Amino acid sequence: MALELTFTCPLQNGMHARPASALEEIARGFISDITLLNRRTGRNANARSILSIVGADIRCGDSCVLTVSGTDEELAMAALGDFVRHTLPRRETQISEQKTNVAERFLPRCLRDTGATLRRGVPLVEGIGRGRLVRVSGLRMPQELAKTGVADVAGEQERIRRALAELIEWYGSRAAIAERGVERDVLIAHRSLARDEEFQSCLFNAVQAGRTAAGAIVMAEEQFTGLLALSANPLLRERVIDIRDVCGQLLQRVYGNLPDRILALREDSIVMADWLTPCQILSLDERFLKGLVLSEAGSTSHTIILARSFGIPTLAGVEETLAIPEGDEAVLDGDSGVLVTNLTEQARRYYALEQQRQQGRAAVLSKYANSPAATRDGHRIEIAANAGTVEEVAKAFTAGAEVIGLFRTEMLFLDRSTAPSEVEQYEIYRKVLEAARGRTVIFRTIDIGGDKPLGYLNLLPESNPFLGCRGIRIYPEFEVLIRNQLRALLRASAHGPMKIMFPMIATVDEARWINRLVTEERKRCSDEGKCFDAKLSLGAMIEVPSAAFVLKELCAEFDFFSIGSNDLLQYTMAADRTNSRVATLYDPCHPAFLRLIRQIVATVRRAGKWIGLCGEMGADERLLPLWVGMGFYEISATAPAIARMKAAVAQLNYSDCSRLCDKAVRCADSDALKSVLGRHLERRGLPVIAPELVATDFDASNKEEAIKRAVDQLYVHGRCNQPRLLEDDVWKRESHYTTGFGNGFALPHCRTNHVTASSIVVLKLRSPVPWDAADNVPVKVVILLAIREGGSMNEHMKMISQLARQLMHEPFRDSLEREQNPEALCRLLMEVSE
Amino acid sequence: MKIVAVTACPTGIAHTYMAAEQLEKTARKLGHSIKVETQGAMGIENKLTQEEIDSAAVAILAVDIAIEESERFDRVRKIKVPVQSVMKNPEAVFAQI
Repeated sequence: MALELTFTCPLQNGMHARPASALEEIARGFISDITLLNRRTGRNANARSILSIVGADIRCGDSCVLTVSGTDEELAMAALGDFVRHTLPRRETQISEQKTNVAERFLPRCLRDTGATLRRGVPLVEGIGRGRLVRVSGLRMPQELAKTGVADVAGEQERIRRALAELIEWYGSRAAIAERGVERDVLIAHRSLARDEEFQSCLFNAVQAGRTAAGAIVMAEEQFTGLLALSANPLLRERVIDIRDVCGQLLQRVYGNLPDRILALREDSIVMADWLTPCQILSLDERFLKGLVLSEAGSTSHTIILARSFGIPTLAGVEETLAIPEGDEAVLDGDSGVLVTNLTEQARRYYALEQQRQQGRAAVLSKYANSPAATRDGHRIEIAANAGTVEEVAKAFTAGAEVIGLFRTEMLFLDRSTAPSEVEQYEIYRKVLEAARGRTVIFRTIDIGGDKPLGYLNLLPESNPFLGCRGIRIYPEFEVLIRNQLRALLRASAHGPMKIMFPMIATVDEARWINRLVTEERKRCSDEGKCFDAKLSLGAMIEVPSAAFVLKELCAEFDFFSIGSNDLLQYTMAADRTNSRVATLYDPCHPAFLRLIRQIVATVRRAGKWIGLCGEMGADERLLPLWVGMGFYEISATAPAIARMKAAVAQLNYSDCSRLCDKAVRCADSDALKSVLGRHLERRGLPVIAPELVATDFDASNKEEAIKRAVDQLYVHGRCNQPRLLEDDVWKRESHYTTGFGNGFALPHCRTNHVTASSIVVLKLRSPVPWDAADNVPVKVVILLAIREGGSMNEHMKMISQLARQLMHEPFRDSLEREQNPEALCRLLMEVSE
Repeated sequence: MKIVAVTACPTGIAHTYMAAEQLEKTARKLGHSIKVETQGAMGIENKLTQEEIDSAAVAILAVDIAIEESERFDRVRKIKVPVQSVMKNPEAVFAQI
């Protein structure tokens, strides 16, 4: 007797690829037939096929019927009901509107006037790349292969079956060795397309009807890409390229070596193509791939997701690419959104300056990355990295991490059919510690459940997984698994400094239970004569609010703690962080949340124990003064944020931060708290002029370059994040009338939102440049005033107005012109207001 | 001669103050007494009283934007010039007096 469930699609973007794949995942777990009918279109989909589900064209508000029939129909219906009621409504994905109006994007004046050919495009990946232009054709089905006329139907079907098995296997093994998570995700997604039931039966049926393998693959490609291309949903249209990719790979497997469709890159290259599939990107030599110019590409397509993760500057929608000659040297500017050809001397100078700007910033950041983080008044706080693989650990230390604040061991357990053995885990933990070379690693024991299911554990579906069995709560049921992991970790502790941390501790009982397990495993290790660190520290994640209220007792059980900020916020505010309708509640600036954190930190410190913070909000520069002021010993974040965070810490003052915390926790609401934070940013007392903002002997060829260079100085020293927009603000003021006020001096200036603090840059030029000055004298000394809009204007204006007045006097100008030492120049400028 | 003046430029950061200094410097050189009010990023500074304005022979308004409390100057002879002209050739501005 079949069971039925009727529901209305709640997803704004309809049933697109990701929710479809979640449904398919569930359907695969049962043997019953499961179909999904869209009453509006009348299409009936096989729930075990993503393509079929997607093909039913289910839009928001469509009425649908799930029908289950088979021996395990009741269990299946329970799981599906759970999915429809709880999981589906949370599968909403925000589609970010892509800026398609390319003409509206701002082009820096300095670049516009270079005389080179500029072709605008939609920048999909930022960055600047330079190389020779190479045209690559997208993956197309070869015309020469026969499409029909098969004598041995069964034999042809067998060829496809073997090719599919080989391909599925290949995706799996490629995914297993993929260095980047994104790369793995794309390969896994392609694997699920290759084993899609609808896709496979479309292939076999086509052969049955007399087509060759090639004919069948072409037909399947056309059928499924046609289906997706018609969709009103951009997320689905962007999956077209994945189907083309899988079909191309399959063809390759059936027919062996087809003519190579991808060029081997031999020098720095900018690749132009109508479109490229994800596997084509993976097959290009990353060392030489400096830019991508694509006609068709959506910002959420796997091709672009890969390009972003490799950091390859990418433009889409560039006009007349066919008119661009191959072999020419070009620059792909993903920051300004242009492809630059016919490189003139001025254009080369512009990009040389751009390179200096980026290298300058990198040098400043690496200076911070390579030294311990400390505030201006000498308060130390460790900046650590979160990692999940050996490679990430190595990269984190290169990026400047002082320790690993969170190693997520569950990464070892995902995407496999059984749990890794004790020996396998031990080997990996040992490699992690070797990569850490004497710096501490905090290993968190397996944290699954909730949003991280694990197929082979067969966890029961729960109506509210985030409030169900996750973290330590699954350990009693899988005691063997956790004991194995503890032994592997204990044995690894002989190889380097490490700590062990447990997720989701909510009660003292849990703490005692897990400590007992550790004690027993320690004893077993010593009984077996295995080495381990006898003084190994044990700690707990604090992510459940209840832990905060038994913290004194937990301090007796553990040596250290780490706040999991995302979950702690979600549980404190009872607001799902993936639900945009409660996004105003999922806000770290709510005083309730910050008071809770402050109380936790204070309690732990009073007990003489150690506490850190791991989670996304650790890297939020706006909140950093609070974390410093509260007294965390360590903040752990993603590796790319580390240098930036260290630089930000260096601009803070610990005693100011403590006072800021006192004030912040007294706020009644998040708006009040945000304005307190905003005022702190204003008043953190960065001097308006500093020696690093003085540049001498700059070889500018014109006014445009001089202004660009002065603006870039602020970018290099972290006072401006959008240099081209600041530059535009300067030029807007320049358009009123010249700022060249005579005697070889210019004072370009603006009020702007694009500086983090009001600043003065002094730029001395090697040879003077024309500035349309009042007295027609070319300019040798440029003083840029960038005043932060909406800030407390009066703070620096007194000094700046005095400076403007002093510049009218010859002796002051003479001394500025003579002085070459940056410190002395700063003193001269500061003295004007005294 | 007793002169009053107001300076105000579009951003109120630089030329308001440079022009004020230029006017004071040139007045000294030419032997006039002058008081210059600035209307810049810090608001009105060195504000002219109605009495000072009324007793002045002339008011130089070196302004690129509409100024605050302009009604104070209703009864006095005014010379209105762009800020830029004070920067380029201040003596030519005084020659208009």
